[in-house]
Amino acid sequence: MNKLSTRQTILIYLALGVVLIVFLMPIYLIASSSLKPSPIMFQKPPAFLFAPTFEHYQDLFAMRPFGKFILNSLIVALGSTAFSLTIGSLAAYAISRIRHKRMNDVAFWILSMRMFPPIAVVVPYYIIFKTAGLLDTPLALIIVYSTANIPLTVWLMKGFFDEVPIALEEAAAVDGYGLLETFLRVTLPLAAPGLAVSAVFCFIFSWNEFLFALMLTGSEAQTATVAVMSFWSSDAVQWGRIMAGSFIILIPGVIFVLTCQRWLVRGLTMGSVK
Amino acid sequence: MSAITLHNVVKKYGAVQVVHGVDLDIAEGEFVVLLGPSGCGKTTTLRMVAGLEDVSGGTLSIGGQVVNDVAPKDRGVAMVFQNYALYPHMSVRQNMEFALRPMKLGKAEMDRRIAQTAGILGLDALLERRPAQLSGGQRQRVAMGRAMVRTPKVFLFDEPLSNLDAKLRTQVRWEIGKLHQRLGTTVLYVTHDQVEAMTLADKIVIMRDGHVEQVGTPEEVYAAPKSTFVATFIGSPSMNMIETRATGGRLVADGLSIPVPTRFGDRVKDGQEVTLGIRPIEIQRVAENAPGAMAARVEVTEYLGNEALLDLRVGSHDLMAEVPADQRAAPGETVHVRLNETALHLFDTRSGRSLAQ
Ligand SMILES: Nc1ncnc2c1ncn2[C@@H]1O[C@H](COP(=O)(O)OP(=O)(O)OP(=O)(O)O)[C@@H](O)[C@H]1O
Ligand SMILES: [Mg+2]
Repeated sequence: MNKLSTRQTILIYLALGVVLIVFLMPIYLIASSSLKPSPIMFQKPPAFLFAPTFEHYQDLFAMRPFGKFILNSLIVALGSTAFSLTIGSLAAYAISRIRHKRMNDVAFWILSMRMFPPIAVVVPYYIIFKTAGLLDTPLALIIVYSTANIPLTVWLMKGFFDEVPIALEEAAAVDGYGLLETFLRVTLPLAAPGLAVSAVFCFIFSWNEFLFALMLTGSEAQTATVAVMSFWSSDAVQWGRIMAGSFIILIPGVIFVLTCQRWLVRGLTMGSVK
Repeated sequence: MSAITLHNVVKKYGAVQVVHGVDLDIAEGEFVVLLGPSGCGKTTTLRMVAGLEDVSGGTLSIGGQVVNDVAPKDRGVAMVFQNYALYPHMSVRQNMEFALRPMKLGKAEMDRRIAQTAGILGLDALLERRPAQLSGGQRQRVAMGRAMVRTPKVFLFDEPLSNLDAKLRTQVRWEIGKLHQRLGTTVLYVTHDQVEAMTLADKIVIMRDGHVEQVGTPEEVYAAPKSTFVATFIGSPSMNMIETRATGGRLVADGLSIPVPTRFGDRVKDGQEVTLGIRPIEIQRVAENAPGAMAARVEVTEYLGNEALLDLRVGSHDLMAEVPADQRAAPGETVHVRLNETALHLFDTRSGRSLAQ
């Protein structure tokens, strides 16, 4: 790579700085508002220096069982992610390895699941889950989110499986391994970056989802995203608590992405064939 | 007992048949080489033995047991792939351990075998490296090591040397030969390089378009080729072929008339079209008046150090002669040569089959 001149370096850092500000500004606003005492919340110009208060956080957990809602969100997001990765990678493996002229149609059909507008199926889902007695349970949300997460996982993982040389699986077969063991010990580890990417997408989608969570849960299985909005009522919007809840909601996502990041390495199959 | 037996083995991909009824018997401890031009079905045959391709017809036995429907993992064979197929996410040691684990040997025995194999192949210093951190030759040795640690009944090799440079190829070829002598395991080895085949094989199987053309020791396929295909495929530079017609006990072609050697007896019929084969080394320069001398014009001379190759024109035929370097001639010169009568090969032109007994 060419060495950059000092001027170019400065310009690049300036541009990066602007981008960073754009992306970090909302997070800063959420964090600072969650710590501002209510009287100065809407002061103009905004107060940059103030004595931080944790009153909103205390209220958040005192007024509603917010810890439970966070736990619900975690159960739903992790559950759907685990389920989608399991089913999705197995399906993707089959699609990647079975040579059949209609296999592309199958893959497209699976992807098409993601194309319908969610609002169109909210009512049918509601009726189905009500009949099945699953309303207001985390399982209902896990199922709904997985119908969106599985197609995505299948598509992502198929690409990664396509990259794993078949010769490696043949070597494992000759070495004495069956189909499942070969998949688990050779193919899947080599597609680990794909698993990490899929996990991030599945987790973030399930964690952030609002519409289905609002419609299909009540007080028991409510998720954090819905719970935060309950501080928005017709007579008052409690911004401090909303901001405190929003900030807490940000944290698990960041931790999850950072954890997955270490699997996002390129060139895992280097040195295998040739 | 035979280690591997193929009886009328057929492979079809849909409607296309690529292996046509191969019969082959490999004895315990034998080093058998499948040799043939590209696309003749060598790899396909080897992969059927490994169990990586279904057998479309016929029977395939390993150690006396029919294995047509036995999964690769239960065949007790080890394979070295052309592209090595090392597990990239495992170190050299882990690659070997992975191959050993299904045998359930226990940690101590696994370590002992890995240490022993690494010693033989000179991999000791590389055990903790990943395949990506190895050179081509080192990867090749790891691939062999991974197959060797299992001490399998049968070794399968698919062109294991084709990704190495010329010098390394000679060295590894020599090592493979040594290993076979030492381990005495049955080997089925695929190559299209006749030098590998000649130097390594106890038995060479020459394939062409999915058929077995000839099976024999290296000496047999060199000295007594059963067809024009084998005759021209084995030997370098390859055998000269001249199309002649048998006329009154002589083989006649433009600029050339040679008595039919008596050892062919009455198998050469008058009027039959006969292809005459002679290796370049069996064409000698002689004096003009020597018996059997033919005049030939030198077209090109290639000097090789000890010997020289002469491109000769006899009548309308091109012949290649290999002569001692001091007997070479300049292009354009006319020389006299004689075909060594005892080294003549005769083939029926129509069928391409040898007319020798
Ligand atoms: N999956 C397949 N589908 C259809 N035809 C195939 C398939 N695999 C191989 N063939 C055909 O079978 C024939 C034999 O192939 P094979 O790979 O055994 O040749 P080979 O002797 O190993 O050649 P090379 O020296 O080039 O490796 C070829 O004509 C090839 O096109
Ligand atoms: Mg091949």
